[in-house]
Amino acid sequence: MIVTNRKEKVGYYLFLLPAYLIFAVFIFWPVVHSLYLSFFKYNIVTITSPQFVGLRNYLYLLKDEVFWISCKNTLFFVIGTVPVKMFLGLLAAMLLNRKDLKFKAFYRTCFYIPVVVSMVAISIVWMLLFNPGPNGVVNILLSKFGIQPLGWIADSKLALPTVMLLVIWKDLGYIMVIYLAGLMAIPDEIYEAVALDPVSSWQKFWYITWPLLKPTTIFILITQVIDSFQVFTPIYVMTEGGPGYSSTTIVNYLYDKGFREYEMGIACAVAYLLFVVLLVLTILQNKLSKAEEVSYD
Amino acid sequence: MKKLLLYVILTLIAFLMLSPLLWMVSTSLSKDSVIVSTSLIPKEFTLENYVKAWNFPRIFNKDITFGTFFLNSIIVTVCLVIGGLFFDSLAGYVLARKDFPGRTLFFYAALITLMIPFYVTAIPMFLIVKGLGWINTYQGLIVPFLSSGFGIYMFKQYFQTIPIELEEAAKTDGYSDFWIYARVIVPLAKPAFATMGILKFLWSWNMFFWPLIVTTDIKMKVLQLGLTMFRGLNVTQWGLLTAGMTMATLPTILVYLLFQRYFTSGLIAGSLKG
Repeated sequence: MIVTNRKEKVGYYLFLLPAYLIFAVFIFWPVVHSLYLSFFKYNIVTITSPQFVGLRNYLYLLKDEVFWISCKNTLFFVIGTVPVKMFLGLLAAMLLNRKDLKFKAFYRTCFYIPVVVSMVAISIVWMLLFNPGPNGVVNILLSKFGIQPLGWIADSKLALPTVMLLVIWKDLGYIMVIYLAGLMAIPDEIYEAVALDPVSSWQKFWYITWPLLKPTTIFILITQVIDSFQVFTPIYVMTEGGPGYSSTTIVNYLYDKGFREYEMGIACAVAYLLFVVLLVLTILQNKLSKAEEVSYD
Repeated sequence: MKKLLLYVILTLIAFLMLSPLLWMVSTSLSKDSVIVSTSLIPKEFTLENYVKAWNFPRIFNKDITFGTFFLNSIIVTVCLVIGGLFFDSLAGYVLARKDFPGRTLFFYAALITLMIPFYVTAIPMFLIVKGLGWINTYQGLIVPFLSSGFGIYMFKQYFQTIPIELEEAAKTDGYSDFWIYARVIVPLAKPAFATMGILKFLWSWNMFFWPLIVTTDIKMKVLQLGLTMFRGLNVTQWGLLTAGMTMATLPTILVYLLFQRYFTSGLIAGSLKG
């Protein structure tokens, strides 16, 4: 540490001021205010000042069928996308993790480009590809196998799965890259140590690779679950939560309540319930990654 | 032989991954026809869709086009990147090098912001921005996101790897802390600035929910919002639509292709805490 006098120490707070002023006004205060507002009825169009209603917003949520549908849809979305993404991402990483592979950078790029593409733009393209009726690209391809055109985003049973397909396609490159880093961190000596024994590839994977990847897997799992819980954009762009409410998720519900019906109090209640769930997951991740002490002995 | 199989499989999968994008580009370069084309090569090559897309929509106001949305995104993104790098690195510097009361508290405060999901703060954020009269303004889009806990953390970690002798020498020569920051630290931390800048660029360019709720005036819409106006075209004008989408995705793809190594280093650093 560089030793300085007290006058200069005041200057240090000036270095912190810009960033932390923004934090204070736009993050720390809102976190508190959001909880506060969740106990008020506050419609910014019809009411000029908030009215205290206690737990009524939370009771409203408990009784609202649409809220429960959005929770169910969100869970379906998370469970349906995260394991698939992780499996495919790990598979791709293992395919690419060979020292002797040429064009490795090329393949990695092909997998990763979907990650950086604008979610809005690709959602709209996806709407074209999965156009219901006989004039949709995917339906035309399916018809070549004798399959009837599917309703995709117009079908209440397929709307959410169509979005899920997009998200899996878009995110798996990111997961692959993280797994690649985890795989490359495994020293070759470990595999060399069993090279003379009759060990199958599957056994190598299950008894060596997979346990050593545990920290990576935990990190990916929790961060992906936290992210997936908050899915909004592809649904807003492609289906607007429909048909009916079949593709409405929690954040879609929050948006509808807060910015279509302008019920800020209810929207804050939704946000805080979501916050609690995500906080539990974050703490879980911290505990799990601290517990995983992997040694290479 | 086994290796050949691997290359074949990988190439097929890579092709599959890129096919939606290849179809998008191909359709944008094809003349519109009644029946949609599933081929990845334009049958009747034309650039007219791009001209039309750039001039879209001109519905509500003759001057508002794709170009307007594009410019808005550029303004917002450039401000967020430059401002964000500046704010975060300033804070990261004193957290890395200086000792002062509350130092640990400030550091943990930055980390805590990472645990708070955006949607929890979104509504009060909206109300504050509305109260400041910043709806439909650039500052409303930019200011709340200028600082980031991730940025502060990464800069702190990086600055601590710079040999302290350089700063000590400058100190004994009588230079101020800000001078040391600007003339010694910043030039030496170029990789960190590049990585954080690129990540912030991507995040800002693709931002959607926040612009959605603080922008109602069409001429202030950023590109991601403007794109939603193309959705109405999905009955007949597929060429025009895909041309618009291609132009929108090109900047981030280009940035990725040009600066690939910064992506992997930034990602890995974020995921492995060490």
